[in-house]
Amino acid sequence: MELSAEEGETPHDAIDMTTSERVVDLLNQAALMTTDDKLTVLKQVQELIINKDPSLLDNFLDEMIAFQTDKSIEVRKFVIGFIEEACKRDNELLLRLIANLNMLLKDDSVNVVKKAILTLTQLYKVTLQWLVRSKAVTERQEACWDLVTQMKGDVLALLDSENDGVRTHAIKFTESLIITLSPRTSDSDVPKRQEGDTSLDKVPKDHSYIRYGTVIRIMDIGYYGILVQSVQSHLLNLLLFDSIDTLCEEGKNALERLLKFMVHPAISSINLTTALGSLATIARQRPMFMSEVVQAYETLHANLPPTLAKSQVSSVRKNLKLHLVAVLKHPCSLEFQGQISTLLLDLGMPQSEITRSTPAPREQRKRPRHEQYTEGKKVKMEPALIEDDEDKEEPAPLSVPKPAAVPVAQSAIDLTAEFLHPLLNPENVANLVLISMVYLPDVMPASFQATYTPVESAGTDAQIKHLARLMATQMTAAGIGPGLEQCKAREDDAGKEEGSEDGPGAKDQLIKRKFPAVMVGQAISVVGGYTEKTPAEAAPAVKRLPEPILPTTQTKMAGASGRKKVFRLSDVVQPLSEAQIEKLTSRAVKRILHSEKSIAQSGMSHVRVKLLSRLVTQFEGMMKEDVLEFILDDIRTRSDLAFSLLYQEYNSYLSQLPSGLLDSYDHCLYTLLSGLQEKPEQRDGLFTKLVLEAPVITESALEVIRRYCEDESRVYLGMTTLKELIIKRPSRQFQYLHVLLDLSSHEKEKVRTTALAFLKRMYEKDQLRDYIEKFALNYMQLLVHPNPPSLLFGADKDTEVAAPWTEDTVRQCLFLYLSLLPLNHRLVHELASVYTEAIADIKRSVLRAIEQPIRGMGMNSPELLLLVENCPKGAETLVTRCLHILTDKVPPSPELVERVRDLYHKRVPDVRFLIPVINGLEKNEVIQALPKLIKLNPIVVKEVFNRLLGTQHSEGSSSVSPLTPGDLLIALHNIDSTKCDMKSIIKATNLCFGERNVYTSEVLAVVMQQLMEQSPLPMLLMRTVIQSLTMYPRLGGFVMNILSRLIVKQVWKYPKVWEGFVKCCQRTKPQSYSVLLQLPPAQLTSVFERCPEMREPLLQHVHSFTPHQQAHIPASIMLVLEGEKKPEPKPVEPVVEKEMEPDPAPAEEEAPAAELPESETEVLQHAADKKDDEEPMEQEESEPVIEEEAAEPVSQEDETTREEEETSSPQPEPVEEEMETTQPEPSEDQEPEKDAEADVAAPDTGSGSEDVE
Amino acid sequence: MPSHPLRVAVVCSSNQNRSMEAHNILSKRGFDVRSFGTGSHVKLPGPAPDKPNVYDFKTTYVQMYNDLVRKDKELYTQNGILHMLDRNKRIKSKPERFQSCKDKFDLVITCEERVYDQVLEDLNSREQETLQPVHVINVDIQDNHEEATLGAFLICELCQCIQHTDDMENEIDELLQEFEEKSNRPFLHTVCFY
Repeated sequence: MELSAEEGETPHDAIDMTTSERVVDLLNQAALMTTDDKLTVLKQVQELIINKDPSLLDNFLDEMIAFQTDKSIEVRKFVIGFIEEACKRDNELLLRLIANLNMLLKDDSVNVVKKAILTLTQLYKVTLQWLVRSKAVTERQEACWDLVTQMKGDVLALLDSENDGVRTHAIKFTESLIITLSPRTSDSDVPKRQEGDTSLDKVPKDHSYIRYGTVIRIMDIGYYGILVQSVQSHLLNLLLFDSIDTLCEEGKNALERLLKFMVHPAISSINLTTALGSLATIARQRPMFMSEVVQAYETLHANLPPTLAKSQVSSVRKNLKLHLVAVLKHPCSLEFQGQISTLLLDLGMPQSEITRSTPAPREQRKRPRHEQYTEGKKVKMEPALIEDDEDKEEPAPLSVPKPAAVPVAQSAIDLTAEFLHPLLNPENVANLVLISMVYLPDVMPASFQATYTPVESAGTDAQIKHLARLMATQMTAAGIGPGLEQCKAREDDAGKEEGSEDGPGAKDQLIKRKFPAVMVGQAISVVGGYTEKTPAEAAPAVKRLPEPILPTTQTKMAGASGRKKVFRLSDVVQPLSEAQIEKLTSRAVKRILHSEKSIAQSGMSHVRVKLLSRLVTQFEGMMKEDVLEFILDDIRTRSDLAFSLLYQEYNSYLSQLPSGLLDSYDHCLYTLLSGLQEKPEQRDGLFTKLVLEAPVITESALEVIRRYCEDESRVYLGMTTLKELIIKRPSRQFQYLHVLLDLSSHEKEKVRTTALAFLKRMYEKDQLRDYIEKFALNYMQLLVHPNPPSLLFGADKDTEVAAPWTEDTVRQCLFLYLSLLPLNHRLVHELASVYTEAIADIKRSVLRAIEQPIRGMGMNSPELLLLVENCPKGAETLVTRCLHILTDKVPPSPELVERVRDLYHKRVPDVRFLIPVINGLEKNEVIQALPKLIKLNPIVVKEVFNRLLGTQHSEGSSSVSPLTPGDLLIALHNIDSTKCDMKSIIKATNLCFGERNVYTSEVLAVVMQQLMEQSPLPMLLMRTVIQSLTMYPRLGGFVMNILSRLIVKQVWKYPKVWEGFVKCCQRTKPQSYSVLLQLPPAQLTSVFERCPEMREPLLQHVHSFTPHQQAHIPASIMLVLEGEKKPEPKPVEPVVEKEMEPDPAPAEEEAPAAELPESETEVLQHAADKKDDEEPMEQEESEPVIEEEAAEPVSQEDETTREEEETSSPQPEPVEEEMETTQPEPSEDQEPEKDAEADVAAPDTGSGSEDVE
Repeated sequence: MPSHPLRVAVVCSSNQNRSMEAHNILSKRGFDVRSFGTGSHVKLPGPAPDKPNVYDFKTTYVQMYNDLVRKDKELYTQNGILHMLDRNKRIKSKPERFQSCKDKFDLVITCEERVYDQVLEDLNSREQETLQPVHVINVDIQDNHEEATLGAFLICELCQCIQHTDDMENEIDELLQEFEEKSNRPFLHTVCFY
């Protein structure tokens, strides 16, 4: 491979290699190469065999042509190019290659087809030329020409191709064909390059064809088909085929076809541009057609295709201008100058420029020609025909063998214009304007906007003429007007007179004139594009018949034979196969479908819609899908079609009612709705409209609606639609309602909440109420099942194993119910009954879920009160929860309090019921309940206290607690220790102390005061005192006062209090010294027994007294003070000795003091009173010490924390402990009670309080 | 025409700014591109609006560059002309006149309506030979550096879209409509034949 490639690269070096060998080598290489290399190599081969050594061409032709089946488009295109070059080089090759070109013309790739068209454009001329040159036409040549002619027909048919580019190429082919098939005249513009090209005038006059052509003419046959029928001679057939007249005719037919193509309303901008250019070329090269061309330009200018976009309009106008100028520059434009310059002015070209482009009038010679033209070619036609026969010398006659049509049409417009001109007076014009106002479109069309130029010369005669002409053009185009009628009449006359007018000639009128024919053509095209064939092509086809190779049109034959017989349709038509019918119908429907725009332009949309919907409903099959798809492509503008189709479907269902099925209708509705549902961004409520206007909503449609509702972005619209359905279609409203109800427990929150909102609104309607309620209750009833029923899971999530209830599934059952609850309070009882039956997990979830609705009901709801009153067994926790929710933010109402109290006293003596309404209770009730309350879970106790102390409602609620904080604390102290263990009480008091904001020093002072005045003294008194002092050190003075008064109350009689007393003194030294000194000696001794370390400082304290003061200290006290340790105070002995005197006395007194404390205390009281006076001084002195104590609250706290830990270990160290341990019985007594309670309520309270938090 | 690369010509009036900017970008994106001017002379801004620097199409970019450096280096540096010429000379040696080029293209893009008219006039005045179509599209671009850059990108995008079509001729109409809508400017579009 590499070797051969190298050889290929250096072909010139291989001198010994002949060209032939090199070609072989290259071709071998090419077969294995990639596309790009292959092309390069093939080009080399082409160069070698076409230019270098044409003798090889024949040898390698087959090898080269073999590449026409190559996979690559480029290679196939190359082969086409090669065919062109080869045929140009050696015309004889046409015989062999033309069939290949024909194959390529039918290639799958449009690019290959386009290239083939281009080549055919060239080869058509070449073939004609070649045939003309041949003296005698062989059979093969003839066959070749047949094929070329057939291909020509095929390409002309490609003017209707679906592909824009192919059409463009077909136009250019047509252009070239027209030029080839018409004679060049002296005034033709001939491009240098095409100097040598053939044209009809090049056909030598003595060529055998012509003679035969004349024969045919003489034979005066109207229709080719008939001719074929009557003259089966091969020769004649051939002659007829190639007669110059026929060719000329073909050229003219091609022009006609091009003109017709151009007025197609949906022509693409590029095709139009191309056609405009082609026409200009034709006009310049074949001035005999100038009149048609200018006419076509004029018509186009007045009727720009409505399908063009704005910029396309400007492009087309620019082109029109360009080509008009080009035509204007041609010397033969003289007689059209008026029309052309008017057009150019309209296109916005300044007059000066137009003048510049206008050629100077030509020499006289031209004049007569022009006159002939203007006179109307009709006049000229007859002489031309005669000339044709007799004098073939001049080319001109040849040029107009059949020019009649054009001038006729020309004059039709002229005549109509003349007719109109005098009628265009101001009054008529004004009326016309007024009438046309009605038909103005709402929006200015792009083409108008672009073309509008202010009328400069309004009212002048020239302008009126122009206007008349414009109108005449339009009228003629529409097939009305006097000019047209006259022409028709004249033509008929001519036809009669002549009698020799042949078929194509009769059709050879201006397109406008051919209006009916055009219509027929279009009508056919609706049924099937491929059957369309103009007579112009039909003729050659018929003649080709004898050629066995070529496919022929059988029908034409049959039609032709019908001349002699009576026409029978069955002779000429064959039944179509099933598949064909199918294909044709679906194509027809498609064409109607896709003609949307053009039909809309003509204002007949409603007809189209009706037609489509009826067609589609009548026939089964694919088209239904097509139409639906088409609608969905742009449903906004095609909704009328959608509705029409839907109604039609329903109608057909109704019409076959007893047995009819809704399937088809259902499918239609379903497809439309799903289409809408799946389309994103459909805001215009079309979905709603469709649903509401559909005659019946089927199951599947309902399913789509449901899906629509499930779409979060459209849920509102969807549900509004559903609501409308429910309200407006009462017969099946429950079916629709059920969908909405289903959605109320949807997993998407937005869907759910919207559904609930809608349902709430609907719940107010009586007729729906029961259904909704029942549904909600049924759903809630599901909660009594031990496992969630599969109904709660989507179909897809259906689990084999029964799943346990989860928070979500529980809520799912409750959504609807709970949103209805505030609307209908009666429903609350249902909840209670379900609740009692449900398992603990569900209960918990329910409790969590009900907060909102219960709050919504409010505590005044009679039903709720009734629930509290009845409190079904098992629903206690539910009721408690309700109570909590209700009183969470607002103080309880008296009614509620009443019910709760009732419930508590008469039915369920669970103190927890009271908590929510505690602030609504009487003071004594609260105090009564306190022992039970404080034994509850610490969190609950805390909540109770919050409620009582008002520390819970931060937002200034007006709840007034029945107990003041002071009352509460006192009440705690007074709790009968048989009813409640001391530990709970201590904890409760601790809670109080925790609320520093509430328990201010003032409050505590009052509390202490009151407690102290009680008799007997509360056990916890001293604890409270100490704690208060710790919290508020500045209460020191007050506390001293308290202590003094306690001495009066003989505090030592209460062991626990006494213990606390001592402890307090110990903590408050030295401030407490004066208090200690007030104690009777026996008690003082007891103090020192408890804390011996106190004695020494106290003694020192006394020593620091002034002698006078010391004198007040009873000797018994001093004795106690000095105790046994006499030597110690030695350093101060002198002073002490002085004071020694009273010492023995207290010592003596000590014993009695213990026994007779009352008398002693009275004395002491006096002393204490005196001391009181001095206290301020001392207090100031001692402050630092107290502060020290206050500075270490940690220790205090440690103590309390330890306290809490000591539930199990009764270590009698701190005061508090001892107190507790001394009273183990009562607390133990209560223990079982508490446990029992806990058993009932522990989990519930726990969950309840959790929620409160 | 997906099988062979699109042959593109970008045409402005002097083959300096707009067409060269587009030439630059298109060639970087791998297009088979050439650029042209349609004016009778190459005109570059001068010291005053009425005193442009006029060259004929034979003058190379390098010559123009040197000429302007000599005349007023600062002015032409400051208004970006030198920078532009510098870029141009790297792309090709000198400006080309569209009317003098006989090569064939698939797509001719013009940068203003006047140029479009001239191109059309030229193409239509040529004698038709192969009848190969050439699409001419006008994209209006103001003649300054910024607009030229923006315009070049637009042209590039357009060419890329056209290159990617399966069947350019069949789809170009629609494509242009889309582009018009997207870029919010009208395109003139026509087809001529070689």
